[in-house]
Amino acid sequence: MSSASKPKILELDGVSYSYDQNRSVISDLSFSVGEGAFIGLLGANGSGKSTILKLGSGILKPLSGSLLLWGKSLHTLNNRDRAKLISYLPQTLDITVPFTIKELVSMGLYPYDIPPAMTVDDALDMVGLRDKADAHLTDLSGGERRRTFIAMTLLQGAGLLLLDEPLANLDIKYQIELLKLLRRLKEQRNISVVMALHDINIALQFESVILIQNGRIIASGDPETVLTREMVKHAFDVNVEIKGSGTGGIYVSYENNFL
Amino acid sequence: MKKILTLFIHDRLIRFYPRPDNVIEHMKNLFIIAALVLGISTSISAEIASPPKRIVSLAPNMTEILYALGLGDNIVGVTSFCDYPEEAKKKPKIGGMSDPSLEAVVSLKPDIVVMTTDGNPKEFEERLRSLEVHTYVSQARRLADLPRGIRELGVALGVRERADALADKIAAGIRNSAGQKAALASPPSTPKKILFIVWPEPLIVAGPGTVINDAIALLRGENLAATAKTQYPKYSIEEAIRQAPDVIMIGKASGMDMQAISNGILQRLATVPAVKNGKVCFMGDSLYRLGPRVVKGIEELSECLK
Amino acid sequence: MSQVRMLVLIAVTLLIVLCSVFLGPRIVSPMATTDIDKEILFSIRLPRVLVALLMGMALGASGAVLQGILRNPLADPYILGISSGASLSAALGIIGGLTFLGTFTVPMLAFCGALVTGGIVGVMGWKRGGLWPDRLLLAGVGLSFLFSALLMLMMSISTDEGLRRAMLWIFGDLSMSEWPRIPYGLAFVMIGILLSTTRAKALNALILGDEFAHSLGFAPRRERFILFISVGLMTGASVSLGGMIGFIGLLIPHIMRFFLGSDSRMLIPASALGGGALLCIADLISRSLLPPLELPAGVITAIIGAPYFLYLLRRKDVLSI
Repeated sequence: MSSASKPKILELDGVSYSYDQNRSVISDLSFSVGEGAFIGLLGANGSGKSTILKLGSGILKPLSGSLLLWGKSLHTLNNRDRAKLISYLPQTLDITVPFTIKELVSMGLYPYDIPPAMTVDDALDMVGLRDKADAHLTDLSGGERRRTFIAMTLLQGAGLLLLDEPLANLDIKYQIELLKLLRRLKEQRNISVVMALHDINIALQFESVILIQNGRIIASGDPETVLTREMVKHAFDVNVEIKGSGTGGIYVSYENNFL
Repeated sequence: MKKILTLFIHDRLIRFYPRPDNVIEHMKNLFIIAALVLGISTSISAEIASPPKRIVSLAPNMTEILYALGLGDNIVGVTSFCDYPEEAKKKPKIGGMSDPSLEAVVSLKPDIVVMTTDGNPKEFEERLRSLEVHTYVSQARRLADLPRGIRELGVALGVRERADALADKIAAGIRNSAGQKAALASPPSTPKKILFIVWPEPLIVAGPGTVINDAIALLRGENLAATAKTQYPKYSIEEAIRQAPDVIMIGKASGMDMQAISNGILQRLATVPAVKNGKVCFMGDSLYRLGPRVVKGIEELSECLK
Repeated sequence: MSQVRMLVLIAVTLLIVLCSVFLGPRIVSPMATTDIDKEILFSIRLPRVLVALLMGMALGASGAVLQGILRNPLADPYILGISSGASLSAALGIIGGLTFLGTFTVPMLAFCGALVTGGIVGVMGWKRGGLWPDRLLLAGVGLSFLFSALLMLMMSISTDEGLRRAMLWIFGDLSMSEWPRIPYGLAFVMIGILLSTTRAKALNALILGDEFAHSLGFAPRRERFILFISVGLMTGASVSLGGMIGFIGLLIPHIMRFFLGSDSRMLIPASALGGGALLCIADLISRSLLPPLELPAGVITAIIGAPYFLYLLRRKDVLSI
């Protein structure tokens, strides 16, 4: 999905996975993430987005196929080395213990024996939460909670962020805020981001979109070329109108479904 | 989560339920006081001319008294604790002392149910009376009450002469032991300090309000635990060491090798005079029940004090 | 900041331990001269205070670990059924009059019962190559019900007074503490505390969830297994030292979070110290309040601890639930 000139940091080749023997969730999946990529993984509920991210982060082991991280096999890396390269944020963040923001963010240092140059305060500065360092997660808004964990991954220093539905349950204001933050971090720190999404209009803001249906890629590339009326119908089983034209100017309308 | 929480709370309840052993002891005392104050257990609900044919006993000491009165054949039901005399074990069981089965008792069609304030629930007696079952509730709890208690029981069961004879025998036995000891006690100004161990680990001793305490007082001994707050207190080992008992008595728990399980506590009390001078006696269980065997128990006690 | 508080906690715990040794039904001077005072100090009080300290430490620390690995703020060392198993085998020993190891018999039976039960819970909680918090919790609760029921059954069908006495042992008794029990208690409790403290980072990550833990460079299943072993050792040693004492394992970690934050690297040692200190105070009160009568220490821990915890709960967000 990235231009050929940029080095590939994550490559999935012919990856298959199933939770039980009867039902295959992911079958023969191949794609790669280039350096500095900003990819939206779009698909309906149950299409396999989360499973793909879990495979990509090494939480799940594929039944077949190969996963390369910076050219090395993902599952031969030891846990701590892998954690320095790749960071995964799950969709649900239910924490039963009252950690402070500072305590949470500092966990990003766990893969390191010698702490990297970046400090907890630096990471909090980057996400704009320095003044809330001693607050508890319960005191924060949904957007601030997400930013807390983004700060943790920044401290972790991984070049690849895999985020599972980070925009879920956020007001549109916080969705925009978080997307802008991630884009800025991507530019400043040369981080690659892959995130699972379900909002088609948000997907239009990405450099690249992978459209998933039933564990298979049905289209990928520039969102404006991927997200056609036919493809959306195929992936989400709804009829939409693509309105507007030109860069950033288009949006997807669902209105006619309510008629 | 909610489910787990409920399970969790339920689990706590189950776990805490048997915990307050001392509380049960307290409750028992409270009940007895309440029973006495309210006069609920007025002894006789009916005077009977001839001995009742079918008697149910709800306490081991009452069972023993009934046998001593020659009414053994008339007993049709006993508690699971009634293990003396040997024949009592063969009688039909109606449950425990604190939780007898109403159904079992009633189905035995007793002419009278013999109970005690020391361990039987008063509600049970009320239920029986409401079902028009005759009851006799003994209020005797101290050694001195025993002969009178037996006489009253004799009146209630229509075996007055036999009861008077037994009461006289027991009263004489008690008097004799006391007299003997008075003669032995020299100098009487320094009574022997006694610790009567009911259970060695954790250390539980016989305290105030027990037959054992009365028997020790009768023999002019000093029960070290007489000032403790409960009948069977869990006793401080360091206080036991400090109080330096002259004699240690260890009661018998049925089915237990008391010598073996007492090794630990005797080691810990190795510095007290009783252990140093070998004045440790392993006793029977005669003094645990306010029945005909108390005389034997007192003799045992006085034997140990010689 | 939290380092300073930790030092204060250590100092307070030491002070409480010293007080517990010299105070009691009567005050014994540190310069004890009479034979009786020496005897009481060295043979009775010192081992007793040390056992209280060890038990409290084990319960506090294992509570902190368990609430993390089970991801449940209501978990305590007893919820896994380990203590019920220990109690059951100890009660069997007491009632059966077993004495094959002398005074060690009952504690050893309790410890073995704890380990066996821990093993069963572990097997039940094991699926797809790892221990699963909810499975562990439910297996523990189920097993704990079973063992409690068996214990109750034994109690209700037994005509033996000995069983009632066995209950006193099971529900927390420190009076039989003696020197020979201390070395093995110390060993298992210290192994447990060290093992869990060295895995404290992994524990923090596990609290966030297995996926977080993986992302932060840990093998969540292996870490949970190691931490589970440490809990088993600590809980087993504690029950075998002096029966079951409630409250500490459940609420001391929450109280300590309030003082020192939630980072397990601080929380595990702090909960150990807090638990040890609380049990020492509770035991001091239980033997000094109505001498020569001794009250159950477990009751005192809850009576002094619970109101304080409720006060904290009203004042601040101790729990984030």
